[in-house]
This record gives sequence, C-alpha cells and structure tokens, in this order.
Amino acid sequence: MEQKKYWQSFGEKNQSAAYNQDVKDEFKEELPFVEDESKSFLETAAPRRDFLKYVGFSTAAAAVAASCEMPIKKAIPFANKPEDIVPGIANYYATTYVQDGDVVSVVAKVRDGRPIKIEGNDLSPVTKGGTSARVQASVLDLYDTARLRFPTIDGKEVTFEAADKAVAAAMGGNVVVVSSTITSPTSKEVIAQFLAKYPGSKHVTYDAVSYSALIEANTATNGVAAIPDYHFENAKAIVSLGADFLGTWLSPVAFSKQYAAGKKINEKNPSMSKHIHFESVASLTGSNADEKYLHRPSETGAIAAALLSAVTGGSVTGISDATLKAGIQNAAKALVENKGAALVVAGSNDVNVQIIVNAINNAVGAGGSTINWAARNNTRAGVDANFVQLVKDMNAGSVGTLILVGANPAYSWHDAAGFTAGLAKVKTTISFATKQDETAVLCKFVLPDHHYLESWGDAEAISGNVSFIQPTIYPLFKTRQWQDSLLKWSGNTSDYLAYLKSYWSTKLGGDAGWDKALQDGVLATTPAAFSAGSFSSAAVANAVSAATSAKKGGAIELVLYEKVGIGAGQGASNPWLQELPDPVTRATWDNYVIVSPALARTLLKIDLNNGGQADAYEVNPPKPVVKVTVGGKSIELPALIIPGTHPETIGIAVGYGRSENIGKAANGVGKNAFALASLQGNNVSFTNSSVEIVATGEKYPVALTQTHSRYDTAQGNRTEVMKELTLAEYKHHPTEIREERADELRGQISGGEKLNDEEVLQKFEGAGTIYPVYDRPGIKWGMSVDLNACTGCGACVVACNAENNVSVVGKPEVLRGHEMHWLRIDRYYSGDMDNPNVVFQPLMCQHCDNAPCENVCPVAATNHSSEGLNQMTYNRCIGTRYCANNCPYKVRRFNWADYTGADSFGDNQTGHVNDVVLNMGDDLTRMVLNPDVTVRSRGVIEKCSFCVQRLQEGKLKAKKDSRPLEDTDVKVACQQACPTEAITFGNANSKHSAITKVRLDNPNRSFYVLEQLHVLPGVTYLAKVRNSDEKEVEEKKA
Amino acid sequence: MHLKYESQLREPLVSGNKNYRQVTEDIVRPIEAKPTRLWYVGFFIAVALLLFGVYSVYREVTYGIGEWNLNKTVGWGWDITNFVWWVGIGHAGTLISAILLLFRQGWRTGVNRAAEAMTIFAVMCAGQFPIFHMGRVWMAFFVLPYPNTRGPLWVNFNSPLLWDVFAISTYFTVSLLFWYSGLIPDFATVRDRAFTKLRKRLYGLASFGWTGSTKHWQRHESLSLVLAGLSTPLVLSVHTIVSFDFATSVIPGWHTTIFPPYFVAGAIFSGFAMVQTLMIIVRKVFAMEDYVTLGHIEAMNKVIVLTGSIVGIAYLTELFMGWYSQNKFEGYTFWYSRAYLFSPYGWSYWGMMACNVLSPQIFWSRKMRRNVFVTFFMSIIVNIGMWFERFVIIVTSLYRDYLPSSWSVYYSPTIWEMGFYAGTFGLFFTCFFLFAKYFPVIAIAEIKYVLKTTGDGYKDQMSAIEAQPLEAFVKDQTHHH
Repeated sequence: MEQKKYWQSFGEKNQSAAYNQDVKDEFKEELPFVEDESKSFLETAAPRRDFLKYVGFSTAAAAVAASCEMPIKKAIPFANKPEDIVPGIANYYATTYVQDGDVVSVVAKVRDGRPIKIEGNDLSPVTKGGTSARVQASVLDLYDTARLRFPTIDGKEVTFEAADKAVAAAMGGNVVVVSSTITSPTSKEVIAQFLAKYPGSKHVTYDAVSYSALIEANTATNGVAAIPDYHFENAKAIVSLGADFLGTWLSPVAFSKQYAAGKKINEKNPSMSKHIHFESVASLTGSNADEKYLHRPSETGAIAAALLSAVTGGSVTGISDATLKAGIQNAAKALVENKGAALVVAGSNDVNVQIIVNAINNAVGAGGSTINWAARNNTRAGVDANFVQLVKDMNAGSVGTLILVGANPAYSWHDAAGFTAGLAKVKTTISFATKQDETAVLCKFVLPDHHYLESWGDAEAISGNVSFIQPTIYPLFKTRQWQDSLLKWSGNTSDYLAYLKSYWSTKLGGDAGWDKALQDGVLATTPAAFSAGSFSSAAVANAVSAATSAKKGGAIELVLYEKVGIGAGQGASNPWLQELPDPVTRATWDNYVIVSPALARTLLKIDLNNGGQADAYEVNPPKPVVKVTVGGKSIELPALIIPGTHPETIGIAVGYGRSENIGKAANGVGKNAFALASLQGNNVSFTNSSVEIVATGEKYPVALTQTHSRYDTAQGNRTEVMKELTLAEYKHHPTEIREERADELRGQISGGEKLNDEEVLQKFEGAGTIYPVYDRPGIKWGMSVDLNACTGCGACVVACNAENNVSVVGKPEVLRGHEMHWLRIDRYYSGDMDNPNVVFQPLMCQHCDNAPCENVCPVAATNHSSEGLNQMTYNRCIGTRYCANNCPYKVRRFNWADYTGADSFGDNQTGHVNDVVLNMGDDLTRMVLNPDVTVRSRGVIEKCSFCVQRLQEGKLKAKKDSRPLEDTDVKVACQQACPTEAITFGNANSKHSAITKVRLDNPNRSFYVLEQLHVLPGVTYLAKVRNSDEKEVEEKKA
Repeated sequence: MHLKYESQLREPLVSGNKNYRQVTEDIVRPIEAKPTRLWYVGFFIAVALLLFGVYSVYREVTYGIGEWNLNKTVGWGWDITNFVWWVGIGHAGTLISAILLLFRQGWRTGVNRAAEAMTIFAVMCAGQFPIFHMGRVWMAFFVLPYPNTRGPLWVNFNSPLLWDVFAISTYFTVSLLFWYSGLIPDFATVRDRAFTKLRKRLYGLASFGWTGSTKHWQRHESLSLVLAGLSTPLVLSVHTIVSFDFATSVIPGWHTTIFPPYFVAGAIFSGFAMVQTLMIIVRKVFAMEDYVTLGHIEAMNKVIVLTGSIVGIAYLTELFMGWYSQNKFEGYTFWYSRAYLFSPYGWSYWGMMACNVLSPQIFWSRKMRRNVFVTFFMSIIVNIGMWFERFVIIVTSLYRDYLPSSWSVYYSPTIWEMGFYAGTFGLFFTCFFLFAKYFPVIAIAEIKYVLKTTGDGYKDQMSAIEAQPLEAFVKDQTHHH
C-alpha cells in the first residue's frame, strides 16, 4: 500500500521554489540589531526594541548582581584524561584500614580521584566485609585540616632532604623505636633492618590500652607470648568477664561477624549460642548478652576462680552475692554442656585473671575449637613491662634517640609526666605522627606519615591472613611513609613500595600474583587446621590463690573503658565519631562518669523510678557534675545514670581531653582519664578498687541523642515499638509475636473480631483504610533488620553520614536536639532497671507506603515513588516541618542553620554553627563529600533515602546488562557497613531476592514498628530473641 | 401607640440621652482632636515592640530556624501556638458583625467596628507565623496554586496547611471587605466635617464618594447582608480548618475528631476576651461609656462563660476518651504529658484549665459580669489560658509521641522566638492605635439605628410632644418645615 502523504500547504505539496526558500529561511525577518555602532542607539533603525533589550538586560544584570550573588566554583575538565578515571564513575580500590593494631580489609570508593567512602572487603576471610564506625569514619581523617603538611625541625618547616640530613647527624646513642602494635610483616622487617644498623637499639611496642596481661598469661600457660586466634562462631556458650569483644576488645569487627553467626535464628529449628556476661560498667557487649551479671572490678579474679572451680566440678566459693553466684553456676553449666564449643574471654589486664581464664578454656575444650593456638591475633602486642623499662631508661638518660611510630604515650601513658620528663632527656626525638599530637609536639623532628589511604603496605591481623594497603590518592601534603624514612636512614636505596613489592612478588610468584593480591586486597590462604595448643597448669594454682586473696575494694570502684567510636583517643579528632552517639549511653561529644541508678539515688539524689525525678533528669541536658579522686588525682566530669552498671562501680571513658592540635573536633571535648590508670604488677590496670566520688553541685550539659530508654509506660507497654522474647518462650510458642501483631490490628478492621490471625494480617492493608489499595508492580524496595544480629555498634550510622553527606552539627546543636543523623540506633531497656535487658533498634525512614509525612506537605516536596520510596525533594521544600511532626518514627531531620554553607545567604554561619561545623565546610574537608548526593541547604527537611543514588546506579547496571535487577546490584550504605549482616535490603517484589527470603523465612519474628497506625512501613524488623535462663520463663508461664 | 412601648427587660443600648448630632460629635471627636499623651506613649511602645519583632524575624530568616529552640521532635512550638492563638482572637469580629447581624442583635453596634478591626489585625498577626515559620520563607509562594514554570509540581491539596492558606486568606479578605464597607458612610461623615483640605481629600477618597442617598443606603445594606451571609460560615470554617492541622495528623493528642467544634468554641472564647480587653480600654480612653455600656460588657461575658464551658467540656471529653479508647499512646499524652501536674509540662495543662475553665465560671454571677475591673482582668486571664491551650496541644503532644527513643529535651523558647511573638503584639497595637486615631471606633451610622428605640432622649422628646396640645404640635411641625 502506498504511503499516504500529508501536506500543510499547496507549496509543500508541490514543493514550490518559494516554499523551499521559506523553509530554508525559517526566520524571515532580519533580527533588529543596531546597524551602525557609531550612531547613538536612539537614532538607529530599531531603537525601541534595542532600548527594551538593554533595559531588560541591565535590569536582569542588576538583579543578579545585587541579590543572587553566588560564589563561582569552576569545574575544570581534564586536559589529558587519565585512562581509568571517568568523571562521575566511581573506582573501587581494595586497601586496608590500619589504625595502630586495628586492621580491617576495606574497599575505598574513589570518585574523580578522591576517596569518599570506605566499604568492607567481602573477600577478607577475617572481617568478611564487615566494618566498624571507626573504619567508616577514617576517610574523613584523610581530609583533616589538622594534619601536618610538611616535616618540621623544632616546629619549623623543612624539606625531607634537610630533615634526613639533620636526622642522620643527630641520630646517636641507644636508638629506640616505639611503635603501636605493627601488624605489617614488611614493616617489621624494615624496623629490624634499621635497628640492625644501630647496635644497642631496640623496638618497644606500646599499646595505649594494652593486652599485656593476656600475653603474659599465654606465655605462662601455653608458652606463647602472643594472643591466639579466637573463633566465636564455633562457640555455643560464650562467657565474657568484662571483655567488650563486640565493641573494643581486640578485633571487634571480626568478632561481631563471628558472634552474629551464633545469634541468627532459623525459625523452623531455633537455636542460638548462649552468651553470659560479667561486667562492672555497662558495655556494648554486655548489652547484647543473653544474661548479664554485675560485679565489682575487684571481684573479677574471684569470679574467674569460682568459674574455674565450677567448670571443673567444684563448688562456687568466695562469692557472697546470690545473683552473681547463680550467674557463675549458669555460666559453668553452659560451658560444661557445650564442652568443645565453649569460649571464655576476659577483658582484665590482670595476669592472674587471664591465667585462670586460660585454665577454664582448657577445661571446657576451647583450644582447637573456639581458640586456634596455631594462628595469632597480631592486633595487640604491647607489653607494658617493656615500656615501663623504657621510661626508666629514658629518665636515666640511657636513650639517645627515640623514634615514635603511631604511639602517643605523652597522652595515653598513665604516668605521662614520667614519660615526658624522660623524653626531655632524650637527645634526639623523632615522631612520625600525622598530627602535632601530645607526643609529637615534644619531639625535635616531626616527619609526618601518610594517611593509610595514601600509603602502601600490608597487614597481617591474623597469622596467614594478609591484607594489602595501596594508595587511593596522591599524597595531599608533603608527607612520607615512615617506612620510607627508616629505609633511607638504614641506608637502603629502594623505597618502601619497591621493598614491599619485591617482598611479596617473591612470595606470590611474580608480578601477576602481586597484582592479583593488590586487586583483591587480601591474600586468600587455605586455613590451617586448628591447634589446641599445649596447656600447662603450672601457673594456675598461684593465680587462683592470688586472685581469690585480692584485696577487697573500697566503697566505690572505677573502670576505665574505651568507647566504640573514640577508642583510646584515635577517634577524638573525627567529627563523625564525636557525633556518633555512644551505643550504650547515647551521648555525643563528651566523656562522663557512668553511675548506676542505685548510686545515683544516694550520690546524686536522683531516683529513676521516681517519675518526676526521672523526667527532670531526662529533659534537662545539664547533668550533675561529680568529682572522682583516685590516689590523689582527681577529675571532674558530668555523671550519666546508666542502668546495667554495678551499684558500687563507676566508669569513665578514656580517649578524651586531647590536645587542640589534633583538630577542632577534639578541642575541649571531655577530659583525659588515662591518668587514673595505674601500674599493677607488670601491667597497667584500667580499674581501681578504691576511689572517692562526690557530687560538686554543679551541672554540665551532656549532648544525649536519646533521653528516654524504656518502652513501657504507666499507660501500657509499647510493644508496638519493640518486640522481644526469650528463646524458651519462642520455642514454647513460636507464633506469639504474630498473634500479638494480629491483636493490635484486629480492632482496626471492621468485623475484625471474627477473623483469625492470618486473615487479620492479610486484610489489614486494605481494611484499615477508606482509600483504594493499589498494586505495586515492578520494583518495591524493602528492608529488614534482624534485631538478633544487630549489636548496636554504630558502623551503619557513620556509613550513612559518609554516603549521604549528613551534616555534623556540633555539640551545642546536638544539645538542642538538632543532630542530623538519617539513621539512629535506638537503645531500649526492659525489665529490672538496675540490670535491664537491652535491645538495639536501628531506625531510619521506614518508607511507609501510606506515609503520614507525604499528605501533609503543602507543596508536595515529599512524595512516594512507584518503587516504594518515600522521596524528599529538597528544592521543593519550604521547611514547614509538618512532615517531621507527623512522622511517628521521628526520622525526619531539619536543617536548622546553615551547617553546610550551601545556602545563598552570606555570612550567616554564625551563632549556632560552631568551629567544628565550619571546619566541615573547609575546602579540604569538603573533598569527602559524595558528589552523587545533594548537600542540603538551610531550611529544608532531609531523611534516609534508602541510598537512592545507589539504587539508581544498580538499576542502570542491570539495565545496561539487559537483565532484571539482582541483589548484588544494590547494597545500601548501612547494609554494606554492618559487620553482622543484620540489614537485608532489596526488591521485595522479586521472588528471588534476599529480602523476600528473609520475610518468608521469618514469618513469626517479623514485625513492623507501629504497624497499627496503618502507615504501611517498608522496613521489617525481626524480633529480638534472647537465650536467657529458661527456668525464669517457666516460672513466668506458671 | 406602639411608639410609646417601653421594654422593662432591656436596658438601653446607648445611654446618656444622645441625639444624632451628639453621637457623631462623640465618636468623631478623637479623630479630629490631637492625640493625647497616653496615645503617644502607647503608640511608641507598640512600634518599639514591632521593631524588636522585625529584628527577631530578620535573625530567623538570616540564620535559620535554629534561632528558635525547636528540635527534631518538637517541630512546632511558639510559632504555631501563636498562629492559632491570633487566629482564634480574630474570630470575635466576624462573629459579632456577621452572625449577630443576622440574628438582629442590636447591641452589636456598639462594639462591632472595633471588634472587626481587631479581627483584621489579629489575622494579620496570625499570618506572620505560618509564613515565617518556614525554613525557606523566600519560597513561600510555592503554596500558591497559580500556573507557573516550575515544572509539573503543583501544590498538595491533601495538606491541611494548604487548606490554611485558603481559609486564612479568604477569611482575611471577607473580613476586610465587611469592615471597610461598614466604614464608608462613617468616612463620609468625617469627610463632611473635615476642617483641612487634606483631610477632606483623604477621607473623601476613603469614602468612595458616598453621598448618603437612599440608593447608596439601600445598596450598602444589601452588601452588608450579603457579606454577613458570606462571613457566617467562615466563622465556623476557619478555625475548623486550623484544627485540621492537628486533627488530620497521626500524633496522639492531635489526632482527635473533637477538634473542630472545640477549636471554634475556643476561638470565640478568646476572641470575645480580646474584644473585652480592647473595648474596656477604648471606652475609658475615649470616654465612650455611653456607647459601650455595662450591658455590652455583660452580654460578652455571657458569651465567654458559655464558650469557656464548652471548651471545658471538650477538655474533659478528651481526657475521658484518652482513658476510654484504651489507646496507650493517647493515654500517655492525655493522662501523663498533660493531666499529670508533675510531668514536665503538667503546669501548662493546669494553667490552661485554671484560666479557661475554672476562672470564667465567676461570670455566672451578674455582679461579676457587670464589673469592669473583673471583666478586664478576666479577659487577660482567658487569653493567657487560650495561649496555654494551643501550647498544650502542640508541645505536649509532640515532645513525647510514639517512640520513647525520640522523646524530646525540655523545649523552651529563645529570646528571638519570644521576640517574634512580642513583635506581633507590636504590629497589632500599632495598627490598633492608628485605627483608634484615624477611624471612627464605633460605627456611627449603625449605632444611630439603635438610638431611636432605646434612647432616653427620644423618650423625653416623645413625651413632650405627647403632652403638647394638638395646635401647638401642628404649629411646631409646620414651623419646622
């Protein structure tokens, strides 16, 4: 059939010459430009039009110039584009986070040459893709404005050449290298080579919080002067004597991964490991325990001895407290029942305790199953006695040269004054610190080291598992890796990279093996068979008698502990970590004295069981200040009442009170508690059995992000918010939670009382509303959070900050409830207020399908996507905050001030925007921003977007490959960061996705928070199941 | 003779044997005289407050809402409390002008002009809060549904905040028209008495060429009726819609079906209290005791005790439902966050109860109703109470809602938050002082309607006429012409 031809005019039909000319000259009239420039424009041919044109232009120009002045920021394209950099496309490089002894294999996301995000490396056999808050935050340290930018001699800038010359001239006497634990095999060789050149020199490993008693005990009982490789995943019974292994003890990322394996539940055949925890001050690990018992720190030895006695068939003696005694019996029972799958760990730095723990582990068959003596955990190697000797030597003047690598004893040594005095007697002092820290400031030579993201290197956290470090950015400043310096000073001509490469190329079979290893970031080795080690009980009897005869503590005892975010002070200058709410206390930007509710009653006259007093304590940020005196040294800090702390024990976090030189974030934050530690025997003890505490009557504001911690009120227990039960209850009645849900929803459905539970749950969506229910074809994003796996560590929170450019607001703003976190981890207590059950609940935007925020926005700035996302359009938002008010989860965050410098008002970052926040807007710091995510300006609401930028990227990837989306295409930041894989995310409409599987596999534990509101949230939670004492349950049922 | 009929039940609406000329004289005198020293003092205080408010708002717009102490949990505080409070006050004017006009309540003429002015100014003050509580006030025009070039985005007609935009702007427009149309004949009166060219020009312009012809009066009265008819539903709708801001939400303490009638009653309650405050000052300062009589005050006090009791019942109903629903979240909000005196904000709830429910009960006594000092004091108390009511609703509901993890620290305002509120007082009184100086504060034309039937002067004249012999009467009348 002939193609029909349409025409508009006869000209077109006939293709006349005139028509074709017209088409060619579409704009027939000449544009009326000024014809003759010499004439005044009013005399030209078209002055009127020109006049209007000029008026229009000049008005617009004036308006632009006068009102909309925006700083011009130029983006300069590559003149010669590097082959592997495509603007807008991220590259990922495997590398390794190394902070002192801590090692985590990671992948750095690099956008346009800038590392902007750290992700876990799934290939690592140790951490298996897990990260921690500190790992996530480490990328910000790269862009820290307080980093040293050049080498200095006596504080004056020099070149590295000049520094090398001066160092060579000054080096003399006995040379001592003091480092924090080094896990790098090549670095150890570099140091050995260097030391070989200087006779009489030595290497001392110094850990701010040392594990030296553990090493000493292992030497005594197993002949191994190191820490073995622990395997919590093989343990059915875990007993911890104050070891915070999920938060700060040894390798928390690896341990969290292992621990979660035993905590995840198969609904059809429920079983889980049993974790019994003994501690004095509430910790992250204690909060996750199935059973937790409180004791005084001075009783640790007695408890260990009693436990040893109990597991070896004896009786529990020397423990007067009935609950504690029962706890030891329970622990012994659990350990004995699970012989060969049991593990005991202790956080104490008392060698007797550690020897007894080794004996218990030997008795319950931990060796070869949960403890592998064939491999070493290399993350801590410091021996306090060696450092004590060094300080003596320094003070005696027998040290000629001191080289500091990573160690900062002037801050963290309990006798900092002794160290500083000794340092003054050392002729040549050299520091490789990246910042002018407390020790570097006292050193003559400071040759700043690279950040790990600028470095080459390797790390062997667990023997046989090597992880590689490769630079992801050219060094930002005139810095040099310390290994390079040592190589140079030992006369080695090759640089560290060449050294490293040749070291590994030989081992890995040439360049190909080296390249592969770098690409993977880790060396895949087949794990050797576990070794049970050889246990010698020779030292045990003495240890037991020493432990049981330990002197009784005074009225109040003290525990110094590390915080998950700040550690021993390494995180103090990182604003993300300072603003990360501590998982246990929910406090930011300070350290404080943790007191128990019982002590608060007598000391502070605050009774948390008294509604009025509890309210007054909660709603007012200023907290009472107490003065703690330890052996003549005293410290004044605010007190926080933290349930789950022993009534006669207080806790203070170390890592605070850092020098202002290390960054604005550390300046004036908290006080240094390291001075309260003391040397007990060979080791530094972080507990003290007799301290004085008095209330000063003053108050000091503490920035808490959560003020209320219980979900039961006088008007009813808010089980709609949180659901938890014990394993015994669950086994006894698996559908308990499902029934509870149905009961909550039944009343909302007309005729609901006639429906059974399943019908109620199914019909709720349609029956609870007057609106029609729509199909949701295509993708439907959904998330599930397993409260059993979540330990509350906070890695996800920092990951979210980094991924989504979440503003830091500083302490004054957190105090006013202005923190911006898109994801928070709520911490609830239930049960006995003195030793409560604790449950953590990560809470982000629930992406409700019937979102209450959406319909109240007058300008439709927040709306629902066809894929189930609750979207936020910043440009559209006028900031009425109605959405935030109407959000039952209170996850929406408002930009109260110009935190980011992103709005067009000049000079308005004053008042509430403090120095830390301003510094986040520094050109250097801003390099950490994710270019895929808008930096929000003042006056708009923001909230979790389910990492929509990642979802888009994942969808595009699938689309380019012409295949349906798969789980591997999309991993949201919190999910990626989680060391316990508590978060599952994906397309809930797909039959094969992990999220669908989780929901189908866990029908009995799934619940939605506040489901009865009919907001139809998109995030499922799996109820917390606690493997606590079963007898208790039976009593309750009876 | 029906003209002789004298009601013993009602006291006269205007006392003091006024005739028409005197009425005009009394009311226009303050406009033509120099302002008193008191006026200057009051005016400058008002302007000073206004300027402080302007500075407070300037800070908030420049530095952000962080100048206020609102937080992640309490997203609205003094801002919306003040908004609802001012809108509520703005209710009495229209109620008096429109509903009482339709109900033929003659006493309204003494107070309607000032009450309407108060409405206009109160709504102007109210409007500042929803505008300046926006984080990006320079984008406020996004709420207007006009064809624009900003792509497919349009306002969200589901949002109660958008309903507010329409409700408030409609109410303001209609109230303004109503008020102004009533002013036209009075402006003409002032124009006719003008002693300077400028006054003549300005009042001439303002009176739209009013000549007082019958046709003018006829149209004027029709217009008044039409506007009264239009305004009547607005009296009910505006605060109903304002209450929807809360009632349509999911927050315990807000999500309540009782809100519309309860809010309207509360609005009338506070509006009448504010009229009392102002009229007691005006009658004293401008010596208008003859026009705003104790009868007026008593009538308004009756409205106050009625509406106060209605809100009291609403409060008790809420408490009852908080228990009866067995909803633990509502139970907590109503019985702990509010009604428990020792909870952090318990004081505000009981302050509200004392001011709004308990204290107005004294108006059951006629003696109290007719006591000017008691009335003045009570009118202030009621407005404090009604401010507490809005504060209680907004803050005690928000600060502890569903998730205990999100419960807020104690919210108290910053100086700039209070400054904004003070600034609206400045705006209100600046406007009111100008109004009192340049506008007839009592509707001259309208009060003359009620003069005839109630004035003692009229009665006296009539008895004199009746006492006259017929011849004298005829002579008198013809002589007049």
